[in-house]
Amino acid sequence: MAKKITIDPVTRIEGHLKIEIEIEDGKVKDAWSSGTMARGFEALLTGKDPRDAPYVTSRFCGVCFSVHQMASARALDAAFGAKVPWGGTLIRNLVMGAEYIYDHVIHFYQLSALDYIDIMAIADYSGKDKDLLAVKDKIVSLVKSRDTFPLTPRYEPDEFSVKDPEIVTTAVKHYIDALKMNAKARNMGAIWGGRTPHYQNIVVGGVTSYPDINQVARFRTMLDEQKKFVEEVYIPDVLAFGTGPLWPLATMGVGGGHYNYLSYGAFEKDSAGKDLLFPPGVITGLNPADIRIDKFDPEKITESVKYAWYKEKVPVHPYNGEQIFNLDKKGAYSFVKAPRYDGNPMEVGPLARMIISKNKDILGLVEKGAKPGAVARHASRAIETKLVVDACYNWLDQLQAEMTKPGFKIHDTEHWNPPYSGMGVGFFEPPRGALGHWIKIKDHKIENYQAVVPSTWNASPRCENGVRGQYEESLIGVPVPDPENPINVVRVIRSFDPCLACAIHIIDPQTNEVRKFIVE
Amino acid sequence: MKEKFILSKGLETELELKGLSRRDFLKYCTATAALFGLSEFEFTAGIARAMETASKKPPVIWLEGQDCAGCTIAFTQILNPPASSIILDTISLRYHETAMAAAGYLAEKAYDETVKKGGYVLIVEGSVPSADDRYCMIGGRSFRKILEEAAAKAGAIIAVGACATYGGIPAATPTKGIGLDKALPKKTVINLPTCPVHPDRLAGTILYYLATGKVPELDKYGRPLMYYRELIHDNCRRRGHFNAGEFLTDWNDPKQREWCMIQKGCKGPLTHADCPIRRWNDGINFCIDCGSVCNGCAEPGFYAQMTPLYTVEAETLRKIYAQNEKPDKENT
Repeated sequence: MAKKITIDPVTRIEGHLKIEIEIEDGKVKDAWSSGTMARGFEALLTGKDPRDAPYVTSRFCGVCFSVHQMASARALDAAFGAKVPWGGTLIRNLVMGAEYIYDHVIHFYQLSALDYIDIMAIADYSGKDKDLLAVKDKIVSLVKSRDTFPLTPRYEPDEFSVKDPEIVTTAVKHYIDALKMNAKARNMGAIWGGRTPHYQNIVVGGVTSYPDINQVARFRTMLDEQKKFVEEVYIPDVLAFGTGPLWPLATMGVGGGHYNYLSYGAFEKDSAGKDLLFPPGVITGLNPADIRIDKFDPEKITESVKYAWYKEKVPVHPYNGEQIFNLDKKGAYSFVKAPRYDGNPMEVGPLARMIISKNKDILGLVEKGAKPGAVARHASRAIETKLVVDACYNWLDQLQAEMTKPGFKIHDTEHWNPPYSGMGVGFFEPPRGALGHWIKIKDHKIENYQAVVPSTWNASPRCENGVRGQYEESLIGVPVPDPENPINVVRVIRSFDPCLACAIHIIDPQTNEVRKFIVE
Repeated sequence: MKEKFILSKGLETELELKGLSRRDFLKYCTATAALFGLSEFEFTAGIARAMETASKKPPVIWLEGQDCAGCTIAFTQILNPPASSIILDTISLRYHETAMAAAGYLAEKAYDETVKKGGYVLIVEGSVPSADDRYCMIGGRSFRKILEEAAAKAGAIIAVGACATYGGIPAATPTKGIGLDKALPKKTVINLPTCPVHPDRLAGTILYYLATGKVPELDKYGRPLMYYRELIHDNCRRRGHFNAGEFLTDWNDPKQREWCMIQKGCKGPLTHADCPIRRWNDGINFCIDCGSVCNGCAEPGFYAQMTPLYTVEAETLRKIYAQNEKPDKENT
């Protein structure tokens, strides 16, 4: 029987997210997800010049930077009646493409891979590859220098951890290579974005960066290097892991959750704007044998604050949302609101996008027996990184052709000044999932501003009906044979690419003992 | 030759005395490595070395308040010198909330030990919520309390980014974020504003302090003169167009591509920083060179006094023109 849970409100981390779970019979029985820091940006924007919004909202996050700049600019485009010239859209897409490539690669190697490998296997590498031998030498000399190993991973490797010496040694080498690629991808974005983190060039009506041919060539050269890495390193690694040692985790579908998926759609492929790289759509209760995709209707989005530290209010559409804090509210456990689509919690992000676009690679894995969950999320991320790389070439070609035409434009100058009144929504699909910004303008100023971010969808607390958010639901039933070593919990949470540090508390129902584990 | 141990007996004993097991210590190293983009083993070896020679290397504590982690990310992208070499060879990073995430209670212990000894360099990212401490709580304690405690025995204090220096964007929110200028009014703080911090300026400030043992010469807002002495406007390559009265009004006009951005709200004439010289992302670009404006993020008045960001409001215009009427230094 589960006892009353003691909650340690916030742990000593750069903590915006806290997860508490209750274990019974070696499995997660219940889970709570809490956001624990607030700044109140949306309230700040009220009364401001609407053109400030893309700059200010970019500062929501410095890790997945500038995705809010994009969504905000799109909300303003709609509210101002601005028509972004195709040249402006192409440059927006290209700098966002650079952000995608940086973000997905860093997630796999720097933030996740170490959860899946037993780094000590390197000592058994017996191949002849010079680079791998160098990695091995380095590690072996460290191991030899003392009686116990200095390379203890975060958690003890379990039966799913990759132990093949060749794969592990290669993965560690790629981990180091990925760091360089990552900085280079950020520099690629800065060619038009101005700098990172936080681009400077995306404004209402388009972009500020009038391109020249040298920049196109420079971007292309840097993209070539990224493409090579994605195709020859990143994708093969994910496939080797996912269809190899991690296949049992994939077929068990660890970290599945509600099986509801939402994508707003993003990335115009051509100037007509109808054909999107990531199409919009909604799936409620996925049946892999018969995937039914409903049309996405923005009116069906509501936000519940029943369990969040905000003034009590019935669930409302984001246009009517407010952000009035109530830090003393009973029952509340998060600064994150609970967004719902047609009343249902949704998963957003790479897996949602790939299923909704019926991507043949991800469906192929499902046909072979993989269930949507933690492993499928990593696979989806790799698959769509390749899609974005290819799309970047397409956009570059189009930009090069476009900019030599007379009357080439990057900005809708006619609609630069704020209208007296207006409203608009800006949807985008950042690496982490569906993002929406809603704006109302009155007297040329912002009357109301609301953002529903990917982490809000995935990390949401319970809603009015007590239904868990997606992180919470995806942890139910996850095997945790040893509460001291909750490696599967870490794997599940990390597979969502939380851009927040998060603390995991494990409560043993028998002893009511609280053990702290942190996912960084 | 004597084998070089990764963890010397002395260090191990010391760790044990501090209640840290070897496994715990290595776990902490691993987490720190991930953040700074280092391979686990390089970092583990490096940090072990660093701790063994801790007497020679100044300990550093990095605190985060109301932040977006942008300054941390910016610092990790520094290439020359790489952030890794600063962390491994130059300083002894004892505490970084994001970095030490893999071991909450270990972090707390390392933090306590370092604070007890005093004399460390304290780096702060993010603002302090002045409306209610509960808007930013760490380990059940308010960020304000933690900051005051850490500042009391610090050898030097560096505020990084617009939020930690003067409040930045959170200053204008209901949480009323304040910078160290208000949170620690009695302390000397080296302020490195801009949103986010420029990694070169942070690395350079640390290196200067370590080389000389002194705080670099500061202006009246606590900013090192070596980075913030001059106005953006004075070093802007669009300055000639400003003097000629050529102002960009249409981003689509190739003729205007290099014209002055004042009509679009540029705060360069009011902002002190070396961005036009230093540039960003390894010299690839910076705000004004991507056709955008300077938003004044290096100034104490950012963001409240810089809004609206993209238009010439009466007050800004008045200030800029008042400044322009001063005698031109180069020509006198």
